[in-house]
Amino acid sequence: MKLRRRFFLIGIFLLLATAQRADEFKFPLKPNSVRFAAIGDMGTGDQPEYETSQQMNEQRKNFPFDFVLALGDNLYGGHSPADFEKKFANPYKSLLDAGVKFYAALGNHDDASERFYKPFNMNGANYYSFKKGNVHFFALDSNYMDPKQLDWLQKQLESAGSNEWKICFFHHPLYSSARKHGPATDLRLLLEPIFVKYGVNVVFAGHEHIYERVLPQKGIYYFTEGSSGQLRAGGLDRSNITASGFDTDRAFMLVEVADDQMYFETVSRTGKVVDSGVIQRQQVASAVKP
Amino acid sequence: MALKILNDLQGDLLKIRPQSASEVRLAVLLAVGLLGTAPIQVLAGQNSQAQNPPTQNQPAQTQPPELKSPGFQEFADRAQKYVQLHKSVEATVPKLKTTNEPELIVGHQKILARKIKAARAHAKRGDIFTPAAKEDFLKAISSEFQGPQAPHAKATIRQGAPLKTVHLHVNEIYPVSIPYTSVPPTLLQRIPKLPDELAYRAVSSDLVLLDVKANLVVDCFRAVIPIEGTNGQ
Repeated sequence: MKLRRRFFLIGIFLLLATAQRADEFKFPLKPNSVRFAAIGDMGTGDQPEYETSQQMNEQRKNFPFDFVLALGDNLYGGHSPADFEKKFANPYKSLLDAGVKFYAALGNHDDASERFYKPFNMNGANYYSFKKGNVHFFALDSNYMDPKQLDWLQKQLESAGSNEWKICFFHHPLYSSARKHGPATDLRLLLEPIFVKYGVNVVFAGHEHIYERVLPQKGIYYFTEGSSGQLRAGGLDRSNITASGFDTDRAFMLVEVADDQMYFETVSRTGKVVDSGVIQRQQVASAVKP
Repeated sequence: MALKILNDLQGDLLKIRPQSASEVRLAVLLAVGLLGTAPIQVLAGQNSQAQNPPTQNQPAQTQPPELKSPGFQEFADRAQKYVQLHKSVEATVPKLKTTNEPELIVGHQKILARKIKAARAHAKRGDIFTPAAKEDFLKAISSEFQGPQAPHAKATIRQGAPLKTVHLHVNEIYPVSIPYTSVPPTLLQRIPKLPDELAYRAVSSDLVLLDVKANLVVDCFRAVIPIEGTNGQ
């Protein structure tokens, strides 16, 4: 009788555990939190890009994000006025009409003239920064990391508040387990010491047409989301740095920064949540500012 | 409510005293199950093992003294002269501001390119990459691709999957079909800085000087970047 009771309890427990797992992650949706989406390598103008943007619209009903980070390769191929329409303005029309802002970084398929396209909010610059709440964003041009840009980045990071989140986004991933390109180690040699010195918390990149979350490297969280339009199915070769990955469909990220926590969810084109979690803002031992 | 039931149940289960090895195993499994139902995955801020760790913790490289060499100086002077021409031409077309109208962006770029091409119709390869400049560029690039940074520099070029047979020409519009191959950022520390109007591009094994506002090829240095199957010499 005692044994049967135990099995009954175990059965109930497993049922509840399963039920709870289905909705285990929830954005806190705190007032004044910073909410955004991240997309990369989306500008194909093909059906999957449209379907992914439609899913972003769906998700926005429950998670009202205010802006989107575009991680490069915003427009593939031609850059005629029709291309701007077909590959950006049309697929994201609903979001644009709803007042959602896009902040773009340039990828290796992007023409530098995109920085003058107002909906990309680059203000004519190929690298720039902006603030939202307690988060400072730095958009970099990883196509061309010259000394001038490095100097600019160091000065910007130095002047950022020590209690702010510092989030960098650009096209080429410093860490990646994808088969096609792999990590941009040359870029890493120059950027990583700066990121560590000035306490960058999170980095978003694209370029590889997969999704990957990398285990923290030198205390920094790295995400690659390059499958919001393009997809390299099976392109992720999971390695010892891969925390999570998804390479069977298009995807995008949803992020909420609330105080010292960053909540994130990666959603597929069909609305399946393929990764989620919470990041605690790292303490910056080496921060320049007290 | 469900959470309360779960918590009560977890309490009950914790009160059960395992009486056999199988019950101990069961308890362990349940403990794992309990951990697995944590409502939110909080990611530990620990470092994982770095992937293919390059020589890290190196500060950004400083400009090497060779930048003051006569060849580089000549290049910088000629690049500056080009920028003067660019600015004088640009002053004749309506200023481009950020706009919602792609037509204005594309139109501005086309007009600028057309006028610059007309203003330097007789420009030819080597006008800016002069023989003396090429000598210095060759030294810097050879050093980059043979020194300790070589694997990273080569990886950067490889990442761009450069087309081996493509060669651009002076006064040619950069083709939309060719994605940018990043010039290795560590190499950019070794060669002259450029004004905002210009950028270096790696195209095939060529180093190209590009007018980024007009998307126009200003000059080329052929067969200098080692790509797979090419020694770059």
